[in-house]
Amino acid sequence: MASAARVIGSGDTRAGLPAFVQPLPSGPYRSLNPTTKGVIAVSEALVAFAVRGWSGPLAVLLALALTAAVARLGRSLLPFLIATVPITASILLVNTFLFPGATDRIVTIGPFAPTWTGLTAAVQATLRVVAFAMSVAVLVLTTRPDELVADLERRGAPRGVTFVIGATVRTIPRVVQRAREITEAQRARGLDTEGRVWRRVRGVLPLAAPLVFGSLNEVEEQTMALEARAFSATGRRTPLRVFPDHVAQRALRWMLAIGTTALIILSIAGALAFLP
Amino acid sequence: MTLTLEAVTYRYPGTARPALADISLEIAPGAVLGLVGANEAGKSTLCLLAAGLAPATIGGRIEGRVVIDGLATVAARPSELAQRCGILFQNAETQLSGTAATVWEEVAFGPRNLSLSLAEIAERTDWALGILGIEALAPREPGRLSGGQAQLVALAAVLAMRPAYLVLDEPTSQLDPQGTKMVGSALQRLAHDTGVGLLVVEHKTDLLASIAERCLVLADGRIVGGGPSAELLADPRLDGWGVEPPSAVRIERAARSAGLAEAMLSAIAALP
Amino acid sequence: MSWLSRQFSTRVLVLIPVAIAINIVLGYTVQTVLKLPIYLDSIGTILVGVLAGPIAGAATGAASNLIWQYAPGIGGGTIGPFAITAAVIGLLAGLWGYLAVYRPRPATGVRLWLAVVVGVAIILLLASRIYNNPAYTDPSIGGYPDWVFTAAIVIAVVASVSVASFILIRRDAAGAWVAAAGALTGIVAAVVSAPIAAYVFGGVTGSGTDLIVAALRQGGSDVYNASLGQGLFSDPIDKTITSFVVFIILASLSDRVLARFPLGERIVRAGAAT
Repeated sequence: MASAARVIGSGDTRAGLPAFVQPLPSGPYRSLNPTTKGVIAVSEALVAFAVRGWSGPLAVLLALALTAAVARLGRSLLPFLIATVPITASILLVNTFLFPGATDRIVTIGPFAPTWTGLTAAVQATLRVVAFAMSVAVLVLTTRPDELVADLERRGAPRGVTFVIGATVRTIPRVVQRAREITEAQRARGLDTEGRVWRRVRGVLPLAAPLVFGSLNEVEEQTMALEARAFSATGRRTPLRVFPDHVAQRALRWMLAIGTTALIILSIAGALAFLP
Repeated sequence: MTLTLEAVTYRYPGTARPALADISLEIAPGAVLGLVGANEAGKSTLCLLAAGLAPATIGGRIEGRVVIDGLATVAARPSELAQRCGILFQNAETQLSGTAATVWEEVAFGPRNLSLSLAEIAERTDWALGILGIEALAPREPGRLSGGQAQLVALAAVLAMRPAYLVLDEPTSQLDPQGTKMVGSALQRLAHDTGVGLLVVEHKTDLLASIAERCLVLADGRIVGGGPSAELLADPRLDGWGVEPPSAVRIERAARSAGLAEAMLSAIAALP
Repeated sequence: MSWLSRQFSTRVLVLIPVAIAINIVLGYTVQTVLKLPIYLDSIGTILVGVLAGPIAGAATGAASNLIWQYAPGIGGGTIGPFAITAAVIGLLAGLWGYLAVYRPRPATGVRLWLAVVVGVAIILLLASRIYNNPAYTDPSIGGYPDWVFTAAIVIAVVASVSVASFILIRRDAAGAWVAAAGALTGIVAAVVSAPIAAYVFGGVTGSGTDLIVAALRQGGSDVYNASLGQGLFSDPIDKTITSFVVFIILASLSDRVLARFPLGERIVRAGAAT
């Protein structure tokens, strides 16, 4: 029974809520307010890209290594790192071997001539991409989308915004599942997902058509169902839970927002050229 | 205080031919009205009109009036209507908001839209789950329910709006026999234990025979028949209207025709 | 209702998550599973833009890329920063919606053939502009692989034939408009994307299109021009295909459903809606 699992005496904000509804995240770093973690991740991504050269990406990677250690993320970061391999490999190859205007050859093997300039640019771009990917990973691994949406809603984000984010996060797995079923059905009928380009091109239409129409057909009924549940009512939706927030966290968010903006402006103005 | 359609004629946007013509009906609190008819007879359109969704959210032209407890639907906002008349559709999955991690939060979605206090939201949610006997589903993930369970959660989500009336548009048509049974018995309980007035559209006339006091027949956008369920569902014209009679009626007819054959056989056997 | 809130009616808010999911899942399948050198990740964005308006389209595009980047499980790779491009695509789609580009225009005889000529002319004009782009033809750099030129010609011919037969078979002059809208969207997308790819990722994105970037660099283009050259190669093709896909989707939805969207009346066949 739901009522047996009630949390009692945890303050007014959770009065009457069953315990299984949204237990608050706990543990180092994880227990930070979701919006704080979101602001941290966005700042890290922006700094990694805005501050060129070595300093930006390396500073961000250092900060990420610290947070990952505090949150004890360890091995769970690995899949995110592996996911960057196609892009980092492409960056390293294309830039090292084909860097426009570079003449400082490392070695010449037949038509291939990797350059030091190219290699430097390639490693820097790789660090940027890895720093970006890790900032995403730390956020995703410590913060559930529901939590971020719920906190944004409590802060007054319009219900349309929170509905779209919430519904998308839950719609994607359903559509992925449907796409997989369709691909498998097509494959059983002889669709090629491995062979020559033309055969793969022919595979797109039988995949796309049922996927798109199946999903669009549901829009009308879902619209009616939402209206029947007063979705278009005005006024603020009642938040179910309140994530603790502190003055220190608010100060940190403002500092990050202002600091990142300042760094971007300085970078565009060319005032950061002295950094390595 | 009733849900009333007064001589309603309705046309969809861009069409000249009415989808419904001259419909009048009345549902009292606590009453159960069944609605049957062939495909394309206008049953779903009637459901949208009764719940106030047509013309409010889909447009179209209406003549006559739909009045829910004194409030004319043409003048009302969808969020006001949601608290007076709920509606349940066929497909359970598309009716869920798709934003909730648990069934409990899914059911609380509607009350939260009304900016109610947390205590009131919790009370309504527990009540809605309790009246349908699905409290045990509360911590489950909405995306991982059986068809029947999901349809009951969708029903609970509508009930949590505390509507005085409820329109059910073929609530069991997408369900397997087990799910149909599950939803059927929940509807029976709802009809008997609460004061909610129900308008039930169903192909499965067995379900109607067991819960509806009266039934109406819709054909080509018009009401062509009506009366107490027991009489109407035994009406020999039912097949002609594109409606399959309940199994009890079919068995009785089969027995009667079988009995006739038997009588003839015994009469033949009795011949010298 | 204001111009803005009309674009975000309940129906549009329900459509947007579906559109985003279509963008992400189809894009992911085409790029990662089928490994094709196109993207096909803006069908949902253009659909929302055309049905609801420019701001709704832009929001759908930007949200698609950001959620794709941050959604657990399907690892967004490099898609996030291109949210800017996606927003511009949605914005343009809203403009096409207001201009009723996707309304069917049944035609016969001279007008139909006129549409064929216009459609093919637009494609060939764009192809020649791309073909003569400095990224490919700067005389100070040479030695491009021949396949870049051959591919450009083959694609232009295939595209012209496809558009012409689309118009003739469906007897619908709208094909010329749809092709023009798609190709224009593609050019704008390429111009917006190039600095992002060059500045953020050193000019590559880790997908099949990097092959073209490498070929252009081999020929001597700098980082920005190689990205632009690749974009001008891939984006108009991708967006023209997407544009036709959206047109076919819209044509097969019933007028009754279409008319309920904010810009729906500009899509349904003239006189069908009241």
